[in-house]
Amino acid sequence: MTNWTLFAPELFMLAAAGLFFVLSLSRPQPARDYAVARVAAAVGLSLTAWAVGAEGVLFAGTYRVDLFSQVFKVLITTGFFLVICLCAELSGVADKRHSEFYLLLAVCTLALMLLTSCVHLLAIYLALELSSYSLYILVCLRRGREKGLESGLKYFIIGACASALMLFGFALLYGTGLSLHLADLARELPGRIHEPVVLIGFVLGLSGFLFKIAAFPFHFWAPEVYEAAPNQAAAYIATVSKAGGIAVLMRITAAAGAGGDQLVGFLMVVSVASMTLGNLAAIAQQDLKRLLAFSSVAHAGYVMIAILSFNAMGLSSGVFYALSLLVMKLTCFMIVIQVSSGGSNIKINDLAGLHIRAPVLAAALMLALFGLAGIPPTIGFTAKLLVFTAAVESGYLWLVIVAMINVVISLYYYLQVLKAAYFLEPKESAPPVRVPASLNFLALVLIFLTVAAGIYPRPFIAAAQAMTFGIIG
Amino acid sequence: MQLHSAQFPVLSLILLVCLAGLAAVVLLPAEKKQAVKYVSTVCSAVTLGLSVYVFVAYDRALGGMQFVEHLQWAPSLGVSYINGVDGFSVPLLLLTGIVFFTGVLTMWEHDLRVKEFFAMFILLVTGVFGMFMALDLFFLFVWYDVSLFPMYLLIVIWGSTNREYGALKLTLFLLAGSALILPGIVYLVAESGMGTFSLPALVNNADFSPFAQKLAFFLFYVGFGILAGVWPFHTWSPAGHVAAPTAVSMLHAGVLMKIGAFGILRVGMFLCPEGWAFWAPVMALLATIGIVYGALAGLRQTDLKFVIGYSSVSHMGVVGLGLAAMTVDGVNGAVFQMFAHGVMTALFFSAVGYIYDKTHERKFANLGGLSHVMPVAGGYFILAALTGIGVPCLASFWAELLVLLAAFDVYPVYGAVAVSALAINALFILRVVEKTCFGPVNPKWEHLPDVSFGLGMPRLVLAGVIVIFGIMPFLMYETIQSASMLLISGLP
Repeated sequence: MTNWTLFAPELFMLAAAGLFFVLSLSRPQPARDYAVARVAAAVGLSLTAWAVGAEGVLFAGTYRVDLFSQVFKVLITTGFFLVICLCAELSGVADKRHSEFYLLLAVCTLALMLLTSCVHLLAIYLALELSSYSLYILVCLRRGREKGLESGLKYFIIGACASALMLFGFALLYGTGLSLHLADLARELPGRIHEPVVLIGFVLGLSGFLFKIAAFPFHFWAPEVYEAAPNQAAAYIATVSKAGGIAVLMRITAAAGAGGDQLVGFLMVVSVASMTLGNLAAIAQQDLKRLLAFSSVAHAGYVMIAILSFNAMGLSSGVFYALSLLVMKLTCFMIVIQVSSGGSNIKINDLAGLHIRAPVLAAALMLALFGLAGIPPTIGFTAKLLVFTAAVESGYLWLVIVAMINVVISLYYYLQVLKAAYFLEPKESAPPVRVPASLNFLALVLIFLTVAAGIYPRPFIAAAQAMTFGIIG
Repeated sequence: MQLHSAQFPVLSLILLVCLAGLAAVVLLPAEKKQAVKYVSTVCSAVTLGLSVYVFVAYDRALGGMQFVEHLQWAPSLGVSYINGVDGFSVPLLLLTGIVFFTGVLTMWEHDLRVKEFFAMFILLVTGVFGMFMALDLFFLFVWYDVSLFPMYLLIVIWGSTNREYGALKLTLFLLAGSALILPGIVYLVAESGMGTFSLPALVNNADFSPFAQKLAFFLFYVGFGILAGVWPFHTWSPAGHVAAPTAVSMLHAGVLMKIGAFGILRVGMFLCPEGWAFWAPVMALLATIGIVYGALAGLRQTDLKFVIGYSSVSHMGVVGLGLAAMTVDGVNGAVFQMFAHGVMTALFFSAVGYIYDKTHERKFANLGGLSHVMPVAGGYFILAALTGIGVPCLASFWAELLVLLAAFDVYPVYGAVAVSALAINALFILRVVEKTCFGPVNPKWEHLPDVSFGLGMPRLVLAGVIVIFGIMPFLMYETIQSASMLLISGLP
């Protein structure tokens, strides 16, 4: 007997998607769509928060509702809600497409929620594809579509390649007699991970998730997609979609037990290459969204450190890192969205004089940047500290030092952004930054979270540890 | 490491006063510049009072860590909030209080983006205070970085000469330092197997292998050493000091560089005594090169602030040499020198800051005869210069004397080289004083006003401190001695 209440948040998101579908058939009314979206997102968030303690298994053991999935669902719906809150001026998307924009966001959110709960490789594949397909279309919704189409296509092709490799990997695993159920896989895989076929199958199987979190070698799409997508969609990809990707990646790699040398070696290459490439490329960027894209690539590298540590600390630090990325990246995109006029892209220098034009946003940006650079007392620092502790526990001190060198490199471009916001004089022609009171409040909440979780991480760490205990079951 | 609990959490109170001051400044509207300055002054005066109290109330006979506060913070991570001070940190708290107070007063006439300036300034000082009293490695590192990151904006917005370059270089260098410190801390915590960041617990109970101690000490030495201006990692320091506004130069050269040396002492030497012994010869060599390099590079400078910047490199070399000696005298001298150099360099930057504000000229060749035009301001400048070259009865004299005595004992060659370099530097500084303050008056500056009583106040305080501890060095010496005896006697 299936307990459908376990599935209530997902069902609600499905219903919301259906509602937007109906709305998209009627005459376009952006204000109405926005109001409906806000309500739907708020209800979805509260429903998920209400269901946070639920536990159980659905659909013949392929779908596991546990603390891990439920907390990630809260993160995902929170991100969804906040991105919707930033859609008050969705000028990057044609008015008649607003309801479709919300429809796709809702579908993607649903898919990401499913993704955190799936414990069967094929179910994971389906959920991953559902979320990716929504995003492929979201990217193309940008007004003035040539650029959007081009990058949407690029996104799609790279995504399709990653999916193909992933499926091939799963097939190899299945072919060697391993189960596609994560729980069974977790029992058999650690003993067999040294077999070449199993190792290759597992590594290929990870490609879809590496694509999702924009890690090397599947990172090429990130800068183009961030640049070409509507600002709000880019915000969603950078935050919510990343959180889902990290969640599923953690679940899958947890099945590999202690990992084994070759797997860890592969993940180290991914990690070092991601952070180094991301940080070095970010230095050269002028477009703020491209810069954030490369910084995402770098952060994927840091996340990989948590994962390749293959210990309890690594898992809980991965959760904490996902939370920190959500908070910090969302703050940055909030500034991008509010500063840009008419949904256009902004250059770093367009932030000039932000400390006068929008003091609260400027302060939030400063903290988010320091957080991304991993400087205390911010959530970003504590996240890095946890990740590094996990890595050193597994004996990878050199990796931590490489990561810290990368942190210093990254500081260079974060400081350029900060300098623009606090030091450069605003241009005469700079459009005013309209910041409604609600957004100022949101910025204050994000500031509070950034600092509070940075200096008092205790509740978050406790939650992360509880979540990752028995992640496979 | 003995812990003596506090009856009353005076250390946390210092931090709270700073944070309250910060909050008040942030909440005040930006137009109320005067109010911001008053709030900052009150905040700095109260913290100065509290740090004087700690200095006086610290029980020198008892020694060990006193005023200890302990609070569970994140047990699953092994982090607790522990504060405490010993004979090393008490003088440095006092130093921070003095420089904070005088720094705020020095910026009294400052008029650009006042609210943001003082908010950043107070935040920076909070970090410094926290770093000096933290006994938990997590908090120690957090405070350490809190004291670094406001630096970038402080220099880039309010600075002068070549500020964008100076600020960026300084920030990247210092953060590169913390990029080594953090792995070092995490490594030691993991190595101990105790799962705690608590410094007393690690010092008392952990048994680190010699290899771990050598590796970690190296990371700490280079990481903190960058901030301490250890040659060859010092290059950020002159550029940064010259670019920074007066109060920030004061704080940076006066206090922040001490954080670096203090970090080596507190984290490196307490946790890794064997690493300390292993690297001491290298430290001594680098310190001596720093002393000579700073002295010689100073000879080529024409800008007053560069002169002070390079003399800082030289003086911090003295600190390094004292620490490398691994004797009671050496450590005493090193910590004394941190304090004395802090006060001296603050006075120096403050005096130069006044001269620059009035003349907009820092090339000493273009100044001249300032003692006639502004006798009081010139007097402070001369006093700072004399302290810098270690004239007896001024605080630096005792510090340098102790260090050099210790150095002659352990590293006679380095000691001799250091003394000659300091002597050359002294001659040069005297020339600078002559060119700036004496000789014919440059007619351009004839009409300039002397420093007013209000603006002179901070300089007067600094000068007073220099003289008091110069005449009564035992006030400082006994405090430091109480900690260095314990540290040295505990060496394997």
